[in-house]
Amino acid sequence: MRRYEVFLKKDGRDEHRHAGSLDAPDDAMALVLAREAYLRRAEGDRLWLVCRDHLIVGAPEFVAPNADKPHRHNDGERIAGRRRRLREEGLPRKEDSA
Amino acid sequence: MTAPWNDGIREFVLAFADDEHLMGQQHAEWIGVAPFLEEDLAFCSIGQDELGHAASLYALVAGEGDGGEVDDRAIDALAFDSDPTRWRSCHLVEMPTPDWAHALVRHWLYDAAEELRWQLVAESALEPLAEAAIRADREEWFHRRHADGLLDVLLSDPEAGPRLQAALVDLLPIAVGLFAPVAGEAAAVDADVAAAPFDTRLPVWANRIRDRFAIDAIVPGVDAACSGRTIRSEHFEPMLSRMREVLVLDPAAVW
Repeated sequence: MRRYEVFLKKDGRDEHRHAGSLDAPDDAMALVLAREAYLRRAEGDRLWLVCRDHLIVGAPEFVAPNADKPHRHNDGERIAGRRRRLREEGLPRKEDSA
Repeated sequence: MTAPWNDGIREFVLAFADDEHLMGQQHAEWIGVAPFLEEDLAFCSIGQDELGHAASLYALVAGEGDGGEVDDRAIDALAFDSDPTRWRSCHLVEMPTPDWAHALVRHWLYDAAEELRWQLVAESALEPLAEAAIRADREEWFHRRHADGLLDVLLSDPEAGPRLQAALVDLLPIAVGLFAPVAGEAAAVDADVAAAPFDTRLPVWANRIRDRFAIDAIVPGVDAACSGRTIRSEHFEPMLSRMREVLVLDPAAVW
């Protein structure tokens, strides 16, 4: 048995979305079985199957988030704080001098 | 032009309906115990399709050949009829299968024959029957692909292959009864409800078996002693009881 990942696409603008996985003896049977396991009630009109053997998998330690790099989080807090401070001090802002 | 209908045609359609119904019922008995979950789903879907074919054929019988809407209770009255003399099923669909190998081989044998059977009524003078054939053809394509897909994988397997071949040897003499005619078939052919007697397709079916299973199987002829499908096998009564189990709990209930 091989394991397949199932992706379905509803019509129109949607992208293919992961729907689940499936066990099947080969590619041909995977198509047959996916139709009955995931498309019984017209859940999509396009079907992709990817054999898990063909997935390129990143190990968790490889993809571990860079938890100690807050400077990469561009949330605008620092800039907003600086502008607030300047405003409170009544100093001319850059655009006023133009 | 009025649609052709008489007792013979009625019996002809009824036999087809009974086969489809009991085949669907047999497949359904594998729910929850098929070899793996995905197969469980696919196999019961196939059974459900067969039950759908049966319902449309029973509706035709209940409506006396008229393709219009028929009360579900009229269909149930035929499908769950407790009188064994009213049934015209073949013995292949009455028997339980001891293992998955038999269930799979029966599925293949039945659907290979069913394709030929629908083809014979694809241009039926009985219009609702021709329409049912169009719908069935779409679904049957999938059934055959399912059965062939599994056999493609399993027949060459050192453990599964011999078990499947043994199941074929067991089933073949019974399966050939699928082609056994009811007395009414002649009337159906006369009225162009069917293009030809079903057993004229037996050689085609036999060739497909030989190709599929790569054996020089001797496919027996239709047993003349089948008496127009009027004799029920020993497995019929227990099967009918299983089907009627819930129904008899409360005969007055409306479903």
